[in-house]
Amino acid sequence: MHGLFRWSNKWWPGLIPLAVFWTIAAWTSTPPLESDLAARSTAALKDTVLDKRRIVVDGRDVTFGGDAFSEEGRRGAVASVEAVSGVRLVNDETRLVPEAKPFVWSAERDVVRVTLGGSSPLPSSKGKLLEAARASLGGVEVVDQMKLSRGAPPRFDNAALLLLDQIGKLKDGKITISDTKVSLSGMARDLGGREAITAALKNLPEGFSVAANEIKAPPYIVQAYKDPVAVTLTLTGYVPDSNVQAALATAAGRKFFSEKVVDNLKASIGAPAGFANAVVPALGALSRLSTGTLVVSDREVKLSGDALYDAAAAQIRSGLGKDFPQGWQFKADISVKPAAAPVDATVCQQLLSDLLAKGRIRFESGRATIDPDSAGLLDRLVETSLRCPSVNIEIAGHTDGDGEDGFNQALSEKRAQAVADYLVKAGLPAGRFTAIGYGSSQPVASNDTDEGKAQNRRIDFVVR
Amino acid sequence: MAYLVMFHWGWLLASLLLGLAMGWIAVVHRGPGVSRLTAWWLSGLVAVLVAVALARLIPGRPGYWLDLGLLMFACYLVGCAVGSWLRHRVLSRHAPAA
Repeated sequence: MHGLFRWSNKWWPGLIPLAVFWTIAAWTSTPPLESDLAARSTAALKDTVLDKRRIVVDGRDVTFGGDAFSEEGRRGAVASVEAVSGVRLVNDETRLVPEAKPFVWSAERDVVRVTLGGSSPLPSSKGKLLEAARASLGGVEVVDQMKLSRGAPPRFDNAALLLLDQIGKLKDGKITISDTKVSLSGMARDLGGREAITAALKNLPEGFSVAANEIKAPPYIVQAYKDPVAVTLTLTGYVPDSNVQAALATAAGRKFFSEKVVDNLKASIGAPAGFANAVVPALGALSRLSTGTLVVSDREVKLSGDALYDAAAAQIRSGLGKDFPQGWQFKADISVKPAAAPVDATVCQQLLSDLLAKGRIRFESGRATIDPDSAGLLDRLVETSLRCPSVNIEIAGHTDGDGEDGFNQALSEKRAQAVADYLVKAGLPAGRFTAIGYGSSQPVASNDTDEGKAQNRRIDFVVR
Repeated sequence: MAYLVMFHWGWLLASLLLGLAMGWIAVVHRGPGVSRLTAWWLSGLVAVLVAVALARLIPGRPGYWLDLGLLMFACYLVGCAVGSWLRHRVLSRHAPAA
């Protein structure tokens, strides 16, 4: 032992190369050591949920920062870094994510994008919400303005995912969760969307409730366009169900005697009350126009187009509103079609016969009251009569063979007179028209079939 | 410590070998030694450095360099002691024969 002390006096020269070794070792090993420690610290935090995690290694000391979502999580994260072998000191710069009170999350939709805002409990929930938003909205841009906060109510993710499904059904609007209260506002994209959202809200997770549901339904729109060139009537928009759709198509077929009815209607819930009672008379008014458009939007009826003559325009403007159920509004923008060039007697007869070949003037059964469905045809007869001011016209009433001759004779006379009165009311001089009833004496078809009888019940216009 | 040994075993081995060589030479070296007073001073300095390292008083890279230096120094001392002892044994075996 004594020798060891003696010899150690002579050990010092080796310190010089040792110092050189030390310098080289320190010089070359520091960066790899730091990166190795950083990698192993990061690996140790693999299963820890932290926001804004940062790890800085200086020598063997690790400065570790991040936002934790619970106190246990925070401590656990620090402990896992401390446990990494080789780490000398851990400078703990972690903190807790701020708590949101109340915990508010929102999804707002405008024309081009959906903005997710407010608070989200964990990065994983945030990712899940964004992914769900992108999936349910197709190509719509999703903007993420969510920040992370503590204090989310239980089952928040499920509630938010359910509500994100609903945002796809909105045209614009906002859905908000404030603690456990859900508020919705905006406009549904389609008819029925509002109802679908209300139904879906029943599936909100336990504990959540709807504080306000102010989703509005889009306007319930039906449009009818009468095209005089294509000779079509195009119906578009919504109807409450297939029965109403069939009724509208039938009414259109009766009122538009020469037009082909193109039915593009779709069934949807959400129709205003009295829908069919308003649309059918409005179609009647449209049938009296030369060309025109009917737009029924919720409880507002807008009719625009050209009437065939002045009196018709006045009748439509003043008369239609009365037919509507209560609470409905009517706006008419009716002008009068310029009068066509006059024609001679032969052409006049031809035009009148063509009209009556396409459609028949209808009356109530057994009576001389003109069916309102025939207004369109009568207006065309008036228009044609206006084009031949110099001729006199005989209005001939005919009936089928059913019933007594005396009754049929009287009925045919009254019906012919009713038509003559309509023409006079339209502004034609009474002297040009003679109403004559022929009863069943001049059939054009057999009275043995219903079809033949229907052809025999007719009004003819004969130019004299 | 174990981590440092594993990470720097090459340098530590070099220090040990250097110590062995120095210890081997020291037994028969005729040059000037360190005076008793200087030795005490040096021991005190090393003790202070060890205390500082154990207390982790120096942060960051300098702290790491200190640890590394002390570890290499310890290896060197062990090498010196073993080297000197081996040389002494070799010499004392030869001495009686001579």
